[in-house]
Amino acid sequence: MRHPKRVGRTSVSGRKVRLATAAMLLLATTLAACGDGQDDGTKASAPKAPATIPELTKDPLTLSFIWFDWPPAHALEDFANAEYKKERPNATIKVNTVPNANWHDAMFTQFAARKTDFDIAILDSQHIGEAVTNGNILDLTDFVKKNIDVDAYNPYLLAAYGQFPQAETGKRDENASLYGLPLLGDTWTMIYRKDLIGDKPPQTWDEMISVAAKCQADNPGVSGLAFHQANGSDAAAVTYNTVNGVYGGNLWNAKDRKIDGVLNDTAGHEAMDVLVNKMKPLTAKGSGNWFIDEVNAAVAQGKACIAFNWIAASGGLLDPKQSTLGTSREQILGKLGFATLPTQKTNLVPLGGMGMHVSAYSPSAQQAEALNFMRWFEQADVQRKWAAAGGVPARTDALQSPEFLNAGPFNQVYADSVPRMRDMWNVPEYARLVDIENTGVNAALNGAKNPKAALDDIAREQQGVLDSSNRKGGGGL
Amino acid sequence: MKDPVPLTTDRPGQVVSATPPAPGRSRRRLSDRGLAVVFVSPALLLLLGMSVFPLLWALYLSFTDYSATRGGPARFVGFGNYTAILTSAQVHQRALTTLIYVVGAVTLQTVLGFAIAYLISRRTHGRGVLTTLFLVPMMLSPVVVGLFWRFMLDAQFGVVNSMLGSLGLGQVEWLTRQRTALVSLIVVDTWQWTPFIMLIALAGLTAVPKYLYEAASIDRASEWFRFRTITLPLVWPLLLIAVLFRAIEAFRLFDLVYILTSGGPGVSTETLSFHVYKVAFLGFNTGTASAYGILMVLVVIVLTQLYLRYLNKLKEG
Amino acid sequence: MAVSVDEAVSAGPTPDRPPPARRVRRRGHGRSVLEVVLLTVLAVVMLFPVLWMIETSIKENRDVYAVPAEFFGFTVTLDHFRDVFVGADGGRSALSVAFLNSVVVAGVSTVLATVLGVPAAWAYSRFTLKAKKDQLFFILSTRFMPPVVVVVPIFLMYRQVGLIDSKLGLILIYAAFNVPFTIWMMKGFVDEVPAEYEDAAMLDGYSRLQAFGKFTLPLLVPGIAATAVFALIFSWNEFVFAIFLTSSDDVRTAPPAIAGLIGGTTVDWGLVAAASVVFALPVLVFAYLVRRHLVAGVTLGAVRR
Repeated sequence: MRHPKRVGRTSVSGRKVRLATAAMLLLATTLAACGDGQDDGTKASAPKAPATIPELTKDPLTLSFIWFDWPPAHALEDFANAEYKKERPNATIKVNTVPNANWHDAMFTQFAARKTDFDIAILDSQHIGEAVTNGNILDLTDFVKKNIDVDAYNPYLLAAYGQFPQAETGKRDENASLYGLPLLGDTWTMIYRKDLIGDKPPQTWDEMISVAAKCQADNPGVSGLAFHQANGSDAAAVTYNTVNGVYGGNLWNAKDRKIDGVLNDTAGHEAMDVLVNKMKPLTAKGSGNWFIDEVNAAVAQGKACIAFNWIAASGGLLDPKQSTLGTSREQILGKLGFATLPTQKTNLVPLGGMGMHVSAYSPSAQQAEALNFMRWFEQADVQRKWAAAGGVPARTDALQSPEFLNAGPFNQVYADSVPRMRDMWNVPEYARLVDIENTGVNAALNGAKNPKAALDDIAREQQGVLDSSNRKGGGGL
Repeated sequence: MKDPVPLTTDRPGQVVSATPPAPGRSRRRLSDRGLAVVFVSPALLLLLGMSVFPLLWALYLSFTDYSATRGGPARFVGFGNYTAILTSAQVHQRALTTLIYVVGAVTLQTVLGFAIAYLISRRTHGRGVLTTLFLVPMMLSPVVVGLFWRFMLDAQFGVVNSMLGSLGLGQVEWLTRQRTALVSLIVVDTWQWTPFIMLIALAGLTAVPKYLYEAASIDRASEWFRFRTITLPLVWPLLLIAVLFRAIEAFRLFDLVYILTSGGPGVSTETLSFHVYKVAFLGFNTGTASAYGILMVLVVIVLTQLYLRYLNKLKEG
Repeated sequence: MAVSVDEAVSAGPTPDRPPPARRVRRRGHGRSVLEVVLLTVLAVVMLFPVLWMIETSIKENRDVYAVPAEFFGFTVTLDHFRDVFVGADGGRSALSVAFLNSVVVAGVSTVLATVLGVPAAWAYSRFTLKAKKDQLFFILSTRFMPPVVVVVPIFLMYRQVGLIDSKLGLILIYAAFNVPFTIWMMKGFVDEVPAEYEDAAMLDGYSRLQAFGKFTLPLLVPGIAATAVFALIFSWNEFVFAIFLTSSDDVRTAPPAIAGLIGGTTVDWGLVAAASVVFALPVLVFAYLVRRHLVAGVTLGAVRR
């Protein structure tokens, strides 16, 4: 080594003084900077959007959305650029996409930054609470009253994608505020192999399971069932919630904010037992991390008798390029059937889809344009065109229109499912609640926990999250 | 170690040919000290701004219940976050997972890496080619490595199970069983980082002076004896550095978990880093996440100190 | 112990030790064969995933999912590579934009780290600074912070100054992670250039700065190149900061973009493979260029032999 050893040991005191000064300076700046950070966050609720749309700009303008990367996102961009441009030639629509696993983080880190590169956030229905409580999205109540024909919708659809606090399943609270409008409706569809189990889909959950078991036994190499089991996004949680609903369980008691004792009641445990001990054995080995794309792949490769997937993600199944079931759409449709979910004690199905929400941090010209876009989008004829372009509308007239019902084999399934929908909690703690449920159900499905203990743990931990708001330190563990 | 490593640069002969400036041309010159300050401070400022300052900020936040999204004033909670983390069963579980992973992966890499280096050092031909080939995995992005192994380890159509199948062995659920998922994580990390240990071990092995071996061979010492008394003691310090380095890196592991298992099944492959991410970005409990991070930094500092101490010894010895 | 890495890594025979076979006769030969076999097996195991990735990138999608896996005799297609660069609508694909972003971010951050790091390394090598060792070790230790931990306060800081979701933000943080490495790595190279050259130049009337610029710096160029390449590889491969500090297509670098290829409604593994190959190629080329300095490079310049 060239440099002398132990340099600088002589000036210890000088060094210490300097280090201390530097540290103090840094700390001072830190505190000052932190102080800045908190001033703008004290408002506890969402800012209000104007009732009437302000005058729109004539300058060229780009209206940005944020969504995760899937076919409806590209459909929306193409559709909006083709149709909205007719009304507003100076506007360009850009749909930013992020990976599904990163979707919540990407939106809420930008909200946290108080600066968003999008004007319209496409939030999952359950994200509303977090966004409203933090004041991230505009309160649209007055705007909706003035510009939207609320009677044209199934009230629950309007409530699910916009209302906070959350609506009771199937209803809308007329007095609650609205923070969003429906963009894309969605629910699960049952996808079944007509050539393996016959044209008639099973009607009850029990029947579905026994049909799947028989099909698996009769067709080596094909598994009876395929459904979401992954521990990311809301995959495994939606699966359990669906079975829970069908078997008469409840996710929580919203009024008393009680989960422990409600989720894991008798019905809840029965649902978990059905899922883990009756359904899971019929799935493919190693399917414990499957989500949308893996389920689709299994169906397209002809490896599943009955599968469950979101309707909006099922379009690719009819693409002969990605399928081994046929060389044309018709041929594939000869083998694949789409049906509403079987019923058991109840007929509930999961509510999917997303709404449009205006970023509170977007410049006012952009916000005005966003409001105008939403007003335009929710008109009857535009909703029909959206349906024809591959979207799932929310207006009742559009849902019943031939444009929608003929656009895809699963659209009738959606129209039939609308009155049967149930959503999850949309409280501000949603992201953590769903993570607890995802990891817990995923653990049960993969043998890392026994189902009963897993459900009890989920209920206890979720209750802990709801109750922890006043704990001193350690929040989030 | 007195003489410098053979210059990898061109010969310094050209220095002589440059023409010196006319003597006596007086210009205001920076003193050596001034020059040093001017040269060093921009780099130090960047580090202070981008590493130290954020860390101090995190230190401050770690004593509060601040949330990056909820806003509102940061309430001071004393050591509340720290005690909550240190007593949390959730955290203990992640710590155990991380420990198993670090010990498992680093041990496996060290054994394999050293073995490969030893085998290569005994070859006379094709060493360069061999070394270069072995180094490829290490250069790849963890994202690419993670994605690709996820594809290969797929239980249904992954090539690993396919090969096991043609050998008549059953399918293994690599990523969806508690034990195998952690093993898969260790295997993938080992695949990527064995070359690292190999590279450094190889540098040590080729540095063993040959006269030591010659002396030993005259004494008819057994091969194992020579390995134990000559090779290992000389390579050991370097190997230790490599191991410590890997341990620090493995302790910080995030990307591979994110892509390969996202912590599953359940939470059985969640490492500490992954858990910090969940605390920080799912519930935006910034205060807790900061405390969690500070605790992790403390562990890293201890490891780094060990690393640096060995490095120091090595350089002085 | 003055042995450079070159010997270990450079091609060609290095006959500094008699092959063991000469001493131990028959048993030695058998052992040598065993060793070669072992090495071959290990090499195949280590390289198989890479070969499989390349193979997948030129397979048609239905062959990708084939069970049992197809090793030979599939139809070769370059469609996936086209898809990496050309979007579905015929324009530039999001991936190619991400690649371009990666080039900009990795390139600029490397230049920044080099410009800041090289002079500092020279100063640390030449001058007796106060607490030099402590400073150097402090500098190195900042490099070991867990990124997931650092990203939280960095996020808060960037929020104040508006650097979230910007290339500049990524460039700064990558530069900050590369400066310690650059200083340590370059200090080694500067140490190798005798200070006497500068002293002699100064006797001739040059200032210290001129002596550095005219005599030392030219000798450092290969070292700077090697150091920069390692910094480039780090920034190129980095994922954690990229995924948490960026969100829009215009800023996103390649690693999060490639990771985003899974988790849609269908996974195109052929495309993932092709994107990975395209993404890995520059790194492999660069790594080959700096193969002489690998040991120093991968230990952040801390170990050099």
